[in-house]
Amino acid sequence: MKIIKKIVLSSLAVLGFTLFTGVANAACGKITIANMNWASANLMAEVDKIILEEGYGCEVELVPGATMPTFTSMQEKGEPDVAPEFWANAAIVALNKAVDEGKMHSVNKAPITGLGEGWWVLPATLEKHPELTTADAILKRPDLFPHPEDPSKGGFHICPPGWNCELSNRNHFRGWDMEAKGWAIVETGSAAGLDGSIAKAAERGENWFGYYWSPTALIGKYNMQAVDMGEWAGKENWDGCMVLPEQECANPKKTSWTKSEVYTVTTDNFKKTAGKEGMKYLENRTYPGPVMNGMLVWMGENQAEGADAAIEFLKTQESVWTKWVSGAAAKKIKKAL
Amino acid sequence: MEFLSKIPVMDRDALRELKKGIDYSFKNFSREYGDAIEGFFDPLLSFLIFLEKLLVNTPWPIVIGIFGILAWIGSRNYKLVIGTIACFIVIGYFGMWKNCMATVAIISVSTLVCIVVGIPIGIIMSKSSRAEKAILPVLDMMQTIPSFVYLIPIIMLLGIGKVPGLLAVCIYALPPVVRLTNLGIREVDKETLEAAEAFGATPMQKLRSVQIPLSLPTIFAGINQTIMMALAMVVIASMIGVRGLGVPILQAISNQYLALGLMNGLAIVALAIIFDRVTQEYGNRIQRHRGITKK
Repeated sequence: MKIIKKIVLSSLAVLGFTLFTGVANAACGKITIANMNWASANLMAEVDKIILEEGYGCEVELVPGATMPTFTSMQEKGEPDVAPEFWANAAIVALNKAVDEGKMHSVNKAPITGLGEGWWVLPATLEKHPELTTADAILKRPDLFPHPEDPSKGGFHICPPGWNCELSNRNHFRGWDMEAKGWAIVETGSAAGLDGSIAKAAERGENWFGYYWSPTALIGKYNMQAVDMGEWAGKENWDGCMVLPEQECANPKKTSWTKSEVYTVTTDNFKKTAGKEGMKYLENRTYPGPVMNGMLVWMGENQAEGADAAIEFLKTQESVWTKWVSGAAAKKIKKAL
Repeated sequence: MEFLSKIPVMDRDALRELKKGIDYSFKNFSREYGDAIEGFFDPLLSFLIFLEKLLVNTPWPIVIGIFGILAWIGSRNYKLVIGTIACFIVIGYFGMWKNCMATVAIISVSTLVCIVVGIPIGIIMSKSSRAEKAILPVLDMMQTIPSFVYLIPIIMLLGIGKVPGLLAVCIYALPPVVRLTNLGIREVDKETLEAAEAFGATPMQKLRSVQIPLSLPTIFAGINQTIMMALAMVVIASMIGVRGLGVPILQAISNQYLALGLMNGLAIVALAIIFDRVTQEYGNRIQRHRGITKK
């Protein structure tokens, strides 16, 4: 009996030990993070990698990604596990379905604040004319934003030809009745043309009015200010008119821009592997817009990769990221830097 | 051995500083002189806008009629006139009239600018071998440097729109007319020149009454090439905000609209063929008239 007792006890002990170590390792296992091909998502993926590795003991691998291919792969193959900055408008129906089925989780519905599309002006303009914060106020003053080819009209910079936002901007132009208010469209031709027109105006102290989006280095670099476009005129107006070609959108109504749904999405596997701690980190991880734009400017000026920028971010923006993680994890991360 | 296996590289920070320095000094330059340079081009801009408005607002039969007459004056070939008129009607029928007129406007003005600037430069090159040596590498650079490279400074200096577009087109399209003017004048028969000198012609008289008339066919070949190269730049010009047939092509590229791209591309080809044939015929005609070709 004694022997049996011993065996039972020791095997229990061994079992308990293995179970215990099993728990310790199960705190985090192997995960993959989508490293999207634009700067802000690139930075976020690298920051997630460092924090999850150093703070939570995960083993992280970054895999290249782009919005739709990554989503399809997550949905079909359950890989990669995390898409840190996922622009969900393009796949909202499929995403909601996957979330309902429990295959995927929209962990964080606002990983970056102040993000989205819309109309912007330069801060120097607001300094001279502080009343120009709303679209209505700006549209009353075409004289302040002379069109390069016809200075008697106001110039409204729209998206380059072929982009989806080109259509919605053209419909906005009609919806806000801008022609009657003395405005004309400025064709920007390409992303370089649009960026260049902003850079030129900012460097010369000229006024600029038109379409852009955040988070981007340009918004951060020139500290551009979003224009308040007022009320949202409803889904029907937007989906049934604003995003369609001009001839299919007979009566566009003036409206604010559609809200860009940007989430951090994970697979169910991530929830299991990284556990509550990991999920909690992603839930709390919200970059304030200005901080993110500032990082993008830093990346542009130093021609830095996301990996360099992640270290710079963790070193300089401690007050931001320490709120996302537990005290113990924060200590470990600081030590690793 | 490391020296052999690794090429010496400038220090990364120093390189970055150098790049930043160049960017910074250019920005300062554009802040300082940008407005003045923009002002300098204002007359050109007004002319471009005037021409485009004229072409778009004049009733289409009149515009097509004028193109037909111009084709006749140039070529004296009724087949070409009929072809020209048919092409423009088809372009209009497929809804590309406005864009096509915008393209015609910018191509005509840039050709004009190239001729006005290019022929004098060509003449200077033909007169002085030293000038030729200095200008040739510049022409090589203008023809080969990727256009996206000079679009950046042009946008910083002049913004986006017609004038920067015109400039980008001219940078690429100017060299042929310069080169062929130079070549044409240098190829004028020595004996003819001696005869002119024997009659006591001053250098100016020699140039105006002997060299330029005799080299006109070659100069015309240059103008023809300049027009062709200007048309090749239509899409690039659209990338910095020039209206015209390039805009729908850009739309087609980003959305994979095959038919849209093809239609507008073919419209550019049609314009190119019309311009090419008419100017070529004209060049041949002045040659025939002077009895140089034995046709």
